[in-house]
Amino acid sequence: MSKNLRITNNKFIDQTSRISFKFDGKTLYGFKGDTLASALLANNIHLVGRSFKYHRPRGIMACGSEEPNAIVQVGNDASMTEPNTRATEIELYEGLEASSQNCWPSVNFDIGAINNFFSPLIPAAFYYKTFMWPANFWKLYEYFIRKSAGLGKSPTEPDKDIYDHRYLHCDVLVVGGGVSGIMAAKTAAKNKLNTVLIDDKNILGGTTLFQKNECFKINNSYSSDWLKKEIETLNSLKNLTIKTRTSLAAYHSYNYLLARENLTDHLCLNEKKDKIRQRLWKIRAKKVVIATGAMERPLIFNNNDRPGIILSSSIKKYIDYYGVKCGQKVSLFTNNDSAYETAISLNNNGVIVNSVIDIRDKTNSLIVKQAEKLGIKIHWKSSVVNTNGYKKINSIEIMKLSDNGTAVVGKKIKEECDCLAISGGWTPRVHLFTQSGGKLKFRNEDNVFLPDKTDLDQISIGSCNGDFELDEVIENSVNLINKFLKVNNNDYVNLEIISSKEIDKKNIWLLPSDKPLGKTKPFLDFQNDSTANDVKLALREGFKSIEHVKRYTTTGMATDQGKLSNMHALGIIAETAGVKMGELGTTTFRPPYTPLTFGAIVGRNIGEFFDITRRTPMHDWHVEKKAEFENVGQWKRAWYYPINNENMNEAVQRESKAARDSAGILDASTLGKIDIQGSDTSEFLNRVYTNAWSKLEIGKCRYGLMLNEDGMVYDDGVTTRLSENHYLMTTTTGGAANVLSKLEDYLQTEWPELDVYLTSVTDHYGTVSICGPNSKKILSKVIPDLDLSDKEFPHMSFKNALIDNIKCRVMRISFTGEHSYEINIQSSYAKSVWEKCFDAGKEFNITPYGTETMHLLRAEKGFIIAGQDTDGTMTPVDLQMDWIISKKKYDFIGKRSLYRSDTIREDRKQLVGLLTEDPKEILEEGAQIVAETNKQPIEMLGHVTSSYFSPNLNKSIALAVVKNGKKLKGQKMFVPMKDKTISVTITDTVFLDKENKRLNA
Amino acid sequence: MFLINCPYCGERDQSEFTAGGEAHIVRPKQPTELSDDQWAEFLFMRKNIKGVQLERWNHAHGCRKWFNMVRDTSNDKIHAVYKMGEKPPIK
Amino acid sequence: MLNFNTPIMDTKEFSEIKISEIEPILKINLRGKNRDFVTKIGKELSIITPVDPNTSSSNEKLNLLWLSPDEWLIYSNEKIDLNGANFLEDKLYNEISKVNLGSITNVTDHWIMINLSGTKIFELLSADCPFNFNSFKNSKGAVVQTLVNHIDVVIHNKNINNVNLFVRRSFTNHLWSWLNDGASRL
Repeated sequence: MSKNLRITNNKFIDQTSRISFKFDGKTLYGFKGDTLASALLANNIHLVGRSFKYHRPRGIMACGSEEPNAIVQVGNDASMTEPNTRATEIELYEGLEASSQNCWPSVNFDIGAINNFFSPLIPAAFYYKTFMWPANFWKLYEYFIRKSAGLGKSPTEPDKDIYDHRYLHCDVLVVGGGVSGIMAAKTAAKNKLNTVLIDDKNILGGTTLFQKNECFKINNSYSSDWLKKEIETLNSLKNLTIKTRTSLAAYHSYNYLLARENLTDHLCLNEKKDKIRQRLWKIRAKKVVIATGAMERPLIFNNNDRPGIILSSSIKKYIDYYGVKCGQKVSLFTNNDSAYETAISLNNNGVIVNSVIDIRDKTNSLIVKQAEKLGIKIHWKSSVVNTNGYKKINSIEIMKLSDNGTAVVGKKIKEECDCLAISGGWTPRVHLFTQSGGKLKFRNEDNVFLPDKTDLDQISIGSCNGDFELDEVIENSVNLINKFLKVNNNDYVNLEIISSKEIDKKNIWLLPSDKPLGKTKPFLDFQNDSTANDVKLALREGFKSIEHVKRYTTTGMATDQGKLSNMHALGIIAETAGVKMGELGTTTFRPPYTPLTFGAIVGRNIGEFFDITRRTPMHDWHVEKKAEFENVGQWKRAWYYPINNENMNEAVQRESKAARDSAGILDASTLGKIDIQGSDTSEFLNRVYTNAWSKLEIGKCRYGLMLNEDGMVYDDGVTTRLSENHYLMTTTTGGAANVLSKLEDYLQTEWPELDVYLTSVTDHYGTVSICGPNSKKILSKVIPDLDLSDKEFPHMSFKNALIDNIKCRVMRISFTGEHSYEINIQSSYAKSVWEKCFDAGKEFNITPYGTETMHLLRAEKGFIIAGQDTDGTMTPVDLQMDWIISKKKYDFIGKRSLYRSDTIREDRKQLVGLLTEDPKEILEEGAQIVAETNKQPIEMLGHVTSSYFSPNLNKSIALAVVKNGKKLKGQKMFVPMKDKTISVTITDTVFLDKENKRLNA
Repeated sequence: MFLINCPYCGERDQSEFTAGGEAHIVRPKQPTELSDDQWAEFLFMRKNIKGVQLERWNHAHGCRKWFNMVRDTSNDKIHAVYKMGEKPPIK
Repeated sequence: MLNFNTPIMDTKEFSEIKISEIEPILKINLRGKNRDFVTKIGKELSIITPVDPNTSSSNEKLNLLWLSPDEWLIYSNEKIDLNGANFLEDKLYNEISKVNLGSITNVTDHWIMINLSGTKIFELLSADCPFNFNSFKNSKGAVVQTLVNHIDVVIHNKNINNVNLFVRRSFTNHLWSWLNDGASRL
């Protein structure tokens, strides 16, 4: 470390604990409390990256989140490396490894720098314009552009870090821990309001924390000393939560805000281990106080991007807070008073201050007079017209400004320096205010956008509200806070404040040069490498909207979202186009304010928590039997049960055959189940289903089809009449929640007069379905007391029963066309009942089957699956299910839509069966169906919705929707595939047991 | 993310609710007597205005009750909530 | 005899948090709109039917939670005898459902009850629950239906830092591991 760059009398940095870190492979040292940027500067390293387009050397320019240049890659582990982090925000820790981005092969020798010499050939939108033709060359271009553009490397392995989310509700959220934020937090908490104060730095206090200047005093102390005492009093406030290292990312409507807390980024590697790295706070605040301060603007002049050119206030922070001299011989270039604070701090710390170049004619404020008293030389009414030095600035050229400020005149003075401080005035951080939907107003005298109107319960105070002087900040903040919180805090009244006041203001967005504009490089957006010339070119080419200019030139579109560049871009556009800045408006500030890691956004919703899973009561049994699972909505359903290394097809063929030849057992617990009670239930069912329900006897079951009001099939299922006014409705697995909510909707809004109550019992019951010719024998072993004769217990009926004294409901219903039963028993016993049925069925080779076999078996019978064979455009008539539409009922949901001109069209797509010419050929679900193959373009008549190889029929079967399909029975069609065309014949939808003999077998 | 004052449960996060479109569209009592156009008016036609709109919402993950809301679609401001069957408090 | 199985049957302890599944607990869902229904329930259960939103009433044996203006949930304090006939359900069914006063539905196995206790339980839930627990925390008997990790739950504040959380059975394993994962990181 170059000792002479570090001053020793500094309290904020712990100079007793030395930290070693690596930058670009070189081991360096810093101190606890340093950022990577301050440690690099202490090591006299300014050059940290190459610019995006021209590969010009770039150095650290700022000290916070607005840093455009010092964008580095942290870490080199394939899972932990992080690109695009700001060196100014990385707190130094033992073992930190960082490297420059966007330079190849190294930051000191960058091949792409040749672009700088060709730069007149790379104007705005160069990439858009050049690489458009020929279109198929893009693949080639892309490779080289990506390699040379490179904004860091993404990790190639899963992130090992842990992230978390948490909701937080408070009365008052204060964003920003500077003077005004601290005042607001203290006032709120003292008045018993549950208050949260967040700040993105590791310590509260903002820039006042290190302000030791005679021109800024409160009650006879330096403003910093006064503030430190204020901060100490915060600790005793019970209602106050302080979160440092917490950056507000987004401010949404209804005072819903997202903030990212960094928990371990500042810790050394072994301390980070197993801890949560970042937590995303989801904050609901009744009131929000924005106290985010202001950012210093750069100045736009020729070659204003060389390493060593740094924002003036940042140089002040580096010397006063970090104890680091950014240079040994510093020149300052300004249009306002704040650079003089920097000049005085540098001077007081033994740095040679060459001169202050001030574009103003002359000013006599307190701070300027103090600088003059210290003997600091000032070039009034002057501008820097050029800078020299390739990898680091070594001199500047100064000229006098003409009276109107549009040109430079007189003799050029050359001044040698190793650092140039620049200050173009201040921009209030109104980003959060505008994110929340707030509207801005423009203040002409110092060219700032300020918060104006908002619909939310929020205020902006301090310099983000346009108060830049210490006395104004305090006095205005007190009044605003008291009014906003409806309290009366007298802590900050009658303070004795000394504050230098800026008297004269002057601003030139693009400073003139002695060279023609085309020969200069006045950078606007340092990160995206766009210059003032690019913006002017865009205007010449006809772009007028600020949003278009932004996109065309990419100004403000880098990872810093143009924090430093936006105001100048607006200023130059306004000036060139001859409009007022207030009328031009701003570009939109979008969240996040600073980039968020994917980890923080995702939180713990990864791996097993990526999506919710639901399990049936028999889940563990399926797992033991090595079933493969299928996701059906959120449910994990047994898909098939492979034995002896069977593949899916083999397992399904075996299961399907067994279910028809002897017995199969299926876990049907996922079906939606709704308990319906009330004296109007049968009337209610009449209105929601297409068929008639009034005459359903107690103890009987009926299949029903539910439509939307537009007449399209919505859901289906069997409903059982348990007693006079008590029914159990089943729905499809996927439709359960929606059906319940739709039925509640009708009951609450359209038919409140009906005495009907719905209660979901989906999870209360487990459902064991046994089917096949031997199902009756098996059930009689499980429930010996139950009379299973067709007379006593026919198809579509139900019985209450007991299994080992536990109540259950047995329905004789079938989704396979086989003789079958469903046992519904409370879930705690369902696995046990399942096992009992399985044991009872062993002598009949009972075979567990999964959803795939279930789908195959029902397709053999032509039963639809709502959602697979229907897609929200199929009426019951389209499904050839006319039989289920009651002709007698006056009304039911969707009835009127069944005879709209569109639904009665005969050439609608209708459900049909398909048989392939080659019975071994299995169609692909989703495949298109055409009538002829040699006509172009081919009219697509429909598509395959379900397709299987049926082991029971020993041939391939399919269901499909085909235009006018009902009338095309027996016709030949074609299914064109990538490598062949398959011939098919349209058939009836029922392939097996058309007479339904098996139901009573 | 809105904060919605359910008329039954009080203020809750938007994620507990589902939106149900325009309010006060009454299902015709005698649909069979309507022409295709009249039925289509009920079935498909929605105002979708920019500005103050009356909407149906359901506290789906709370009390499961449907209710109405007066919301300005241009700035998402909720002016009022009221129960089903009640008249809009402001317009 | 049939075997009785619940999804978890376990208790986990972390620093300042204890999570346990407590089953079998009797649970009955009640729905009804008119005054007679409300009076009848109170009389049958010897308990005041809570009509204020987000509240409950309890006696030695039972808790009655408000779920909506026409819906309540009963759950028992003690574990139930698995073989004992369910007198309460039958009685309510006959007195209320049979006479069309409202509906009575046994939901014992629809919901699983998880007890959470300890000083950090609300931090644990707030990891993925948008509900504001600030005043709920301090109101014994308060009830809330909300989402935790996108799963519907009913939470009943039994005592200071002690809540019963009801989750639909099929979601239990998922929520249980989510709660355990979160608790291990607090």
